[in-house]
Amino acid sequence: MNVRRLADVALIAFAALLAQATQSLAQAGDFDLVRLMQLLSLAPAIEVPYTERKYSSLLAEPIVSSGTLSYRRPDTVEKNMTAPRNERFRIAGEELIVVRNGAERRFPLSSQPLLSAFAASLRGVLAGDAALLRSHYRLALEGEEQSWRLEMIPLEEEISRYVERITVSGRAGRIEQIEVREASGDRSVLQVR
Amino acid sequence: MFFSRSAARYGLALLCFSALGLLAAKTVRIETDFTAFLPPSATPEERLLIAQLRDGLVSRLMLVALHGADENTLARASRALAEKLGRAPEFDYAANGSLNQFAVQAEVLMRHRYALSPEVNSQRFSAPALRAALEEQQAQLGSPFGMLSRTILARDPTGEFLATLRQLDPGSMPALRQGVWFSADGQRAFLIAQTRAPGFDSVRQASAMATVRSALAEANPHVDMTLTGPGVFAAESRRLIERDATNLSLCSAIAILAMLMFVYRSALPVGLVLTPVAFGLLIGVLVVQALFGSVHGITLGFAATLMGEAVDYPNYLLLNTAAGETARGAARRIGRTLALAVLTTVASALALTLSSFTGLAQLGVLTMVGVTVAGLATHRLIPWLLGGRILDFRRLHVPTSAAVAQAKWPRMIGLAATLCGALWLASTHPAWWERDLASISPIPEDMRAMDQRLRREMGAPEVSFFLASRGASETAALQAAEEVLPVLQKWKQADWIRSYDSPAWYLPAPATQAARLRSLPDMPALQKNLDEALHGLAFRADAFAPFVRDVAAARVQAPLTRAAYAATPLGAKLNALVVELEGQWLVLTPLVGVGDPGKLAASLSAMPEGTQLVDLKQISTQMVDGFRQAALRQAAVGALLIMVLLIFGLGSLKRTWHVAAPAAAALVLTAALLTAGDQRLGVFHLVALLLVLGIGLNYALFFERPPADAAERDRTRLALAVCSISTITTFGFLSLSATPVLHAIGSTVALGALVSLVLSALWARPSEARAASPMH
Repeated sequence: MNVRRLADVALIAFAALLAQATQSLAQAGDFDLVRLMQLLSLAPAIEVPYTERKYSSLLAEPIVSSGTLSYRRPDTVEKNMTAPRNERFRIAGEELIVVRNGAERRFPLSSQPLLSAFAASLRGVLAGDAALLRSHYRLALEGEEQSWRLEMIPLEEEISRYVERITVSGRAGRIEQIEVREASGDRSVLQVR
Repeated sequence: MFFSRSAARYGLALLCFSALGLLAAKTVRIETDFTAFLPPSATPEERLLIAQLRDGLVSRLMLVALHGADENTLARASRALAEKLGRAPEFDYAANGSLNQFAVQAEVLMRHRYALSPEVNSQRFSAPALRAALEEQQAQLGSPFGMLSRTILARDPTGEFLATLRQLDPGSMPALRQGVWFSADGQRAFLIAQTRAPGFDSVRQASAMATVRSALAEANPHVDMTLTGPGVFAAESRRLIERDATNLSLCSAIAILAMLMFVYRSALPVGLVLTPVAFGLLIGVLVVQALFGSVHGITLGFAATLMGEAVDYPNYLLLNTAAGETARGAARRIGRTLALAVLTTVASALALTLSSFTGLAQLGVLTMVGVTVAGLATHRLIPWLLGGRILDFRRLHVPTSAAVAQAKWPRMIGLAATLCGALWLASTHPAWWERDLASISPIPEDMRAMDQRLRREMGAPEVSFFLASRGASETAALQAAEEVLPVLQKWKQADWIRSYDSPAWYLPAPATQAARLRSLPDMPALQKNLDEALHGLAFRADAFAPFVRDVAAARVQAPLTRAAYAATPLGAKLNALVVELEGQWLVLTPLVGVGDPGKLAASLSAMPEGTQLVDLKQISTQMVDGFRQAALRQAAVGALLIMVLLIFGLGSLKRTWHVAAPAAAALVLTAALLTAGDQRLGVFHLVALLLVLGIGLNYALFFERPPADAAERDRTRLALAVCSISTITTFGFLSLSATPVLHAIGSTVALGALVSLVLSALWARPSEARAASPMH
């Protein structure tokens, strides 16, 4: 074993120490994306009632709808609208399944960038999967653990053509609101009751 | 004195040759349009097919497959490439399935949606219908799909734009991944680019390919790409033909040179042997250029092999000079045989010259001129060049078994083999005729296979069936094409066809457009209906003002014409499917997935008069069959001419039999061996067999000439050995070519030359004993 080899070993040991220190530092206090994702990933399953308001320049008043939003591991998201009529959107595996007027239609998520980005935003937030979110959005986190706001801005031009940004806010591991602001100026606000 | 005069002669010959060479370099234009090798078109349908093959829509489409990277990378590369190619001057457009493409085309469809949408009628804009449409729109505002159509909601609440698009959706497009076309397994991203240059323009197609390659290199150099399509084929086959013609000619030239050096062991006779060939080739090419205005690449590739035959004459002359004899003496002695050999080859090539196929006629002219010039040069130029000089070279001795030469049994074996061959051909006829037009194309098999595989993966089947509607004008033809739509719909529902793609969908007849626009309400009526429909909905009262404005504008709009689609994919499609043909207008509706064409043809009577089911495959098969029959007729005329020449030239029926029988038997055996090897005989095999006939006759003539003594017999044997080795060598090299045409000719002639040699040797007069004939 020569001197250079020794130096290498020392360096590795130091790096390992440093990594451990940073990790414990994060766990100890500051609220950041790593922590948020950790909190979000703790929930094994979610089923919550929601109310959604749709604002548009074409509308005199927002359109209000409501139902339940549910999530099951690893990747099933379901938006079950019950008012003003029954409609179901289900993202499972590589498909979006829409049930409207009693008819079921299936769309492969990969077929349209908008669909896969949309599915990724819901799945990423509900599962606490930062890597999935980062593959489609630039992320910015504000606030503290008890009142946070995660802003997602699409990376691809194909998506930013339609979606300006998606903002998710909540408290600890609980999501309270998802707002989608479209490039047209329209927006929808989904609030968990 | 003698030396200088001889040198002056060589100098003069060299000067002549250089002048001709210079002329050729200045004037000869080489083209590689493979349609030059297509049969001449007799019927309008055939002309249509040729036009489609040459520069129709299909011929301009380039298929681009990207692979060798992950899905994300491929999708990004696809978008970047489509964007770059869309701006490149070599392309009309590049499609990759993305929704955001073709802004111009979408704008045209949007602007004319009320003339194009099949849903438009007088009830469409009544208050109850509007109410239903608006309720649906309000419901959809919440869905993630709403976002895509939201941008035009204010202008088009009744969804006429989408109704127009739905109609145009061919329904058999490749799968979408990340918004662009992919193969089902996600391994390949697909683009379709339409070149400005027609498919047969190999030079511009090659530059278009270079543009695609450099665009991809800019977008992402780590992605692999496969290009295919008719234009790519044209460019690639030009490259391959040029490469093969150059390389293989060079190889065979070197091989022949080596053999000549081995035989003569002296530079002068080798130079003399090459002189007639060089003159024959050069003058032949010049004559073709003068008669046809250009020389086809395939003709040229073939020309290089002509030397395999033309080199025989000087060899025969020089090797026939006895020790101490001048070339002039030998030329006098063999002159008659030589003339017959040349004339029979000319007669066999005459059949080609009469062909109305440009490519084959070129081959015929080149062979006739080349062989004649080479023959004349052998008979006149070589003795003149040599003057009184006696060539001194060591004459190789070709050993032969006297027993074989005398025995009867080899002749019986030859006869039996020929009979077997004839029986085989007769029993398997006509399965061994090539009937596929594609066999004429100079594209290597693996390239065609790759093309078909990619097309299958893209779900873009090759369309063979069209329904043709006719009319005295474009309008009348479009009207007729519209009238067949209900029947086509029935065919589709009955599963007789999988789908159809009518040009009348995107270019309805003016009367149809006018009827739709007339059914639109005027502005006050529409506003009143709209107000009534909006009552109680969440929309703002003025939300649909753009819609009211658009409808008002549509009512006074000029009809949509073909010109509006200029430089869009639909425009390109219209140019291919709505065509003027000999004063008549024709609208072609492609039919996909035709099960039983008989059923369709039977129900044509329900359609407007002049409606016709066009089967491109059948037309092309007919064309190939028709051409083959013509070629066979011409070959028969050639054969008859050869017989007449032989009878007069040899002056004896018996001697004619001795010459013609082995040559004819060689043809039968060669054809039998080829088909037994699972080879289908196409146009180019026929051409090659004609050549085999010419070569076979030469051998038989050389062998048949009664030798004066044993020494002359030995000389003849040597001459024939050299001749046949040179032929088999040149054509053997040609058979190595990857280009089907060159390979077919090479393998057929090499095999035929071998069979001819063996049969001629077996069937020729066995010895000089009976050579008391006064005929020389």
